[in-house]
Amino acid sequence: MSVLATLVTAAQPVPVPAPPAPAATITQPPISYPAIMPILIILGAACVGVLFEAFLPRHNRIAAQLVLSVLAILVAGWRLLSYADEMPETGTITLGRALAVDKPTLVLWATLLVLTIGALILMADRTVERGGYFVADAAVRPGTVQDRAQAGRGEMQTEVFPLALFALGGMMVFCAANDLLTMFIALEVLSLPLYLMCGLARRRRLLSQEAAVKYFLLGAFASAFFLYGLALLYGYAGSVQLSDIANAAAGTNRSETLLFGGLGLLVVGLLFKGSVGPFHTWTPDVYQGAPTPVTAFMGACTKIAAFGGILRVLSVGFGTTSWEWRGVLWGVAIASMVIGAVLGLTQTDVKRMVAYSSVAHAGFLLIGAIVLKPAGLSATLFYLVTYGFTTLATFGVIGLVRNADGEATHLSQWAGLAKRSPLVAGTMAFLLLALAGIPLTSGFVGKFVVFQAALSDGMAPLVVVAVLASAVAAFFYLRVIVLMYFSQPAEDGPTVTIPNLWTTGVLTVCVLVTLFLGIAPSLVLDWTSSGVFALQ
Amino acid sequence: MYETATILAQPPAPGGPGDLKSYLPLILLFVLAGAFAVFSVVVAPLVGPRRYNKAKLDGYECGIEPSPQPVVGGGRVPVAYYLTAMLFILFDIEMVFLYPFAVTADALGVFGLVEIFLFIATVGFAYAYVWRRGGLDWS
Amino acid sequence: MTRAEVLADDPIWLILIKVVVLFAFGVVMTLFMIWLERRVVARMQHRPGPNRVGPFGLLQSLADGLKLAFKEDIMPAKADKVVYFIAPVISTIPAFVAFSVMPFGGRVSIFGEQTYLQLVDLPVGVLVVLACSSLGVYGIVLAGWSSGSPYPLLGALRSAAQVISYEIAMGLSIVGVIITAHSLSTGDIVNAQANFELWGLKVNSFFIPLLPSFLIYVTSMVGETNRAPFDLPEAESELVGGFHTEYSSLKFALFFLAEYVNMVTVSAFSTMLFLGGGLFPFVGQDSVLNNGWLQFVWFIAKTFVLLFLFIWLRGTLPRYRYDQFMRLGWKVLVPVNLSWIVALVAVRQLRSAGWPLGPTLFFGAIAVLGLIALSFALPDREVPDDEYVPVTGGGYPIPPLDLEVPTETPKRRRQTRGSRSRRRAAVTAGQSASASQSQEGSNDGNV
Repeated sequence: MSVLATLVTAAQPVPVPAPPAPAATITQPPISYPAIMPILIILGAACVGVLFEAFLPRHNRIAAQLVLSVLAILVAGWRLLSYADEMPETGTITLGRALAVDKPTLVLWATLLVLTIGALILMADRTVERGGYFVADAAVRPGTVQDRAQAGRGEMQTEVFPLALFALGGMMVFCAANDLLTMFIALEVLSLPLYLMCGLARRRRLLSQEAAVKYFLLGAFASAFFLYGLALLYGYAGSVQLSDIANAAAGTNRSETLLFGGLGLLVVGLLFKGSVGPFHTWTPDVYQGAPTPVTAFMGACTKIAAFGGILRVLSVGFGTTSWEWRGVLWGVAIASMVIGAVLGLTQTDVKRMVAYSSVAHAGFLLIGAIVLKPAGLSATLFYLVTYGFTTLATFGVIGLVRNADGEATHLSQWAGLAKRSPLVAGTMAFLLLALAGIPLTSGFVGKFVVFQAALSDGMAPLVVVAVLASAVAAFFYLRVIVLMYFSQPAEDGPTVTIPNLWTTGVLTVCVLVTLFLGIAPSLVLDWTSSGVFALQ
Repeated sequence: MYETATILAQPPAPGGPGDLKSYLPLILLFVLAGAFAVFSVVVAPLVGPRRYNKAKLDGYECGIEPSPQPVVGGGRVPVAYYLTAMLFILFDIEMVFLYPFAVTADALGVFGLVEIFLFIATVGFAYAYVWRRGGLDWS
Repeated sequence: MTRAEVLADDPIWLILIKVVVLFAFGVVMTLFMIWLERRVVARMQHRPGPNRVGPFGLLQSLADGLKLAFKEDIMPAKADKVVYFIAPVISTIPAFVAFSVMPFGGRVSIFGEQTYLQLVDLPVGVLVVLACSSLGVYGIVLAGWSSGSPYPLLGALRSAAQVISYEIAMGLSIVGVIITAHSLSTGDIVNAQANFELWGLKVNSFFIPLLPSFLIYVTSMVGETNRAPFDLPEAESELVGGFHTEYSSLKFALFFLAEYVNMVTVSAFSTMLFLGGGLFPFVGQDSVLNNGWLQFVWFIAKTFVLLFLFIWLRGTLPRYRYDQFMRLGWKVLVPVNLSWIVALVAVRQLRSAGWPLGPTLFFGAIAVLGLIALSFALPDREVPDDEYVPVTGGGYPIPPLDLEVPTETPKRRRQTRGSRSRRRAAVTAGQSASASQSQEGSNDGNV
């Protein structure tokens, strides 16, 4: 209340008896519309999507929503590319220093846009499951008569499309946020739709709703951490601007407790979103319970957005104090890699296994993120690109292996899959090899550049741990491959559904990108190393 | 952001923003009203008669007691009320944002007009969605 | 010196006098309003009303209040003791606190001390009133919840839903005033209305140019105070007494007090926002008619006009149905209000940009009317009604004519077909006894 009061009264003109007295005009901060146009297009399209939901008849919605969202992403991508040419070398800081559009931002945005198109096409696929991956009416209680009746209905909650666009918009702002308050708002905008989308699976409703509630509760908790950290940092620096915090930290006469307490809480919130161990506890349950296309979207895009945010916060806001906190993040990275690799070994569910693999990958990414040099930035960005495409394709393939109860995610059901469907098994094997980081795949190049950057910054022990962890992790990827190729297929094993042309296209593109980046990474490496964060 | 800090550092003008002393009369009225209310509540059982009758202490209901018990200790509330509460939060926040805008509306000029129009329109999309999906129907 | 500075200079004895007088004002207004309401409603119904206690029955409500103090104070067995005890207090305090920012009058001298007839002039005065009106709901909800009885609970829930629904409309209607007055301080809003001219006439009030806001405010203030025709939380025919069914003695009196003080508050608030506070219309601020003490008289007079409106409504209009009431709040008041705010800001901008006001308003009005017509053209979503009962000829619901007499007893059928059939039964009209019971059960939460 008092904040509002200060806000309101500070700006009010002199009251004295007088009708309209517009004394001082408040000047509008300069806005570079070309720079933020992709965000505006995405969020605007999400609003139009909500109107579609309100006014279109049900049978028209899915087509309209898909066309709208893909079109919006394409237009946003086109604006992005045309802006990339005219952008100043040091980037643009706009909207009253709230957003920084620079080279890393553009790389992240472009990756997010491309991956979201893929995820949206997976979401819209209705050939794999009658009616699609999503429930017809999410408000019906699971296990009731009405629930059983709606299971067969060939409809779905098409709200997922505007929700995905809102999440995408939030992610884009998150990557570009130049002050912590904007970052917090973006965090909420990207999280809330995801919480909701997790609970919309058509099959295994209870598991899906449990995932949504878990994700929501833990996510809200993490947001609170972030907010408390923000408050402490504001107390320290008197500003929420990242560069102001960095400047304040350069002078030494202030309370270090506020700075590092704030940084600690802030980073906990960020690491949660990136599912870095030991803040990963939500990951397996949510990846398993959420509808598979949503898992693909989350696994690929949330990780990119979260690490985009972590990179910017660490290098722009806390670059000057890195020697103080780097040791802690060393520990976190090691913990994440070890947790991901070791717990991944014990999993019997494919989706959970990939979830733990994502925890291990988060550890590798964190190594790149704490290098704080252009080499580290470019390596981390490259890793994010490769990881995004591979993960999207992996979950896309997992969604195809089904039996009468829906997706067959238990490992034992995958035994001998190569004999039933060599193509899918081959694709999956290739993607798992990429996740493991075997040469000739993008995963190898990603790990290689990150480790190289870390070595150049004197983090050799960390690299040794990382190599060991990836060796352990390779074991559980190989286990699945062995299971698919060298086991007898089970009697009542799953069948592989033939998806529609669009899904096939998405999977093909992702696999080709994985292969291409493994063979000729220089194109994308040049792109990711073309610039650094804008500092102001 | 630095400007806010400097404003807070200055001693507030009497009767102006941040002058907590001007809240003193309000607190006095609060105390007086509170004292009166507490006095009434406390004195009522002391002054009034006391004639025990078990039926008097039952809930107001004709016939048998309702089962399950409705309230104290985990009763459930119809879900429509939760929906209303959520909508209230949505619009109340919209209102909170409109107040600072309203104070500075003229100073903000055309830019403010466009912005507030976009803001109201954005909430309007959600409103249209809720309306069409029957969220505002109380059946 | 501005109003706020003068008030901040008040010595402590003056503040204490004002606090006590303000409190007494609230109590006396309550007693007087109860009497007035009973007399006026009685006159509207062609009967005398209370006329035995004191001249014209004036002391009737005082006598009632004293009698309540000597009634038994009942604590229901199932009540949550602490909350039940504290709820009337929570309800009473904010009702009085909201008075503190009301600008009752102009500048006067009390025992040689220059001051205004107002307790405080906070820069956020409007928000204080809104906050108090919201806090009062806690008293009602907690009272209903803690009573341990279904009627109070339903009354309290209705009340909460009602107050928060109309809070939106109320808060939005105030935005129009703030845009015009550039301030949230109650004193400044009154000052801004001084010398407000319309067609060369000093109207000293906002309610003519801000007519839509004013009408919405008046509607929502009735809803906000749970008064007829919006008195659904205490609909006698449905809910006995609503949230205070289980209350007796002085605790009951406190709820009554809070309700009437709230009525006075919203009326005074409306006077302050739209009717120019204590300013006498058609004359300047320096006129004799606008000296400090006379302003107090005008303020009270204007407030009483609105209070009379409350009584008049109660004497005239039947109670709304709950769904109609919610529809009015959410589907009419909120969108109209938002469109009005945008239109108001737009017109002000255009005027300051030097546009001719007349044609602008004309075309603006046409555009708005067009939009409204368009919104009527859109079909409202049809909600499939599972519990539809066919209605014929005379408009009375009758049992379906294609009623099938079941060959088996319902109990038998349940045993053979399992629980599935019960769900189905609720859809058709010819149903078993158990199904109709479950239907009633699902209904009573929604009444």
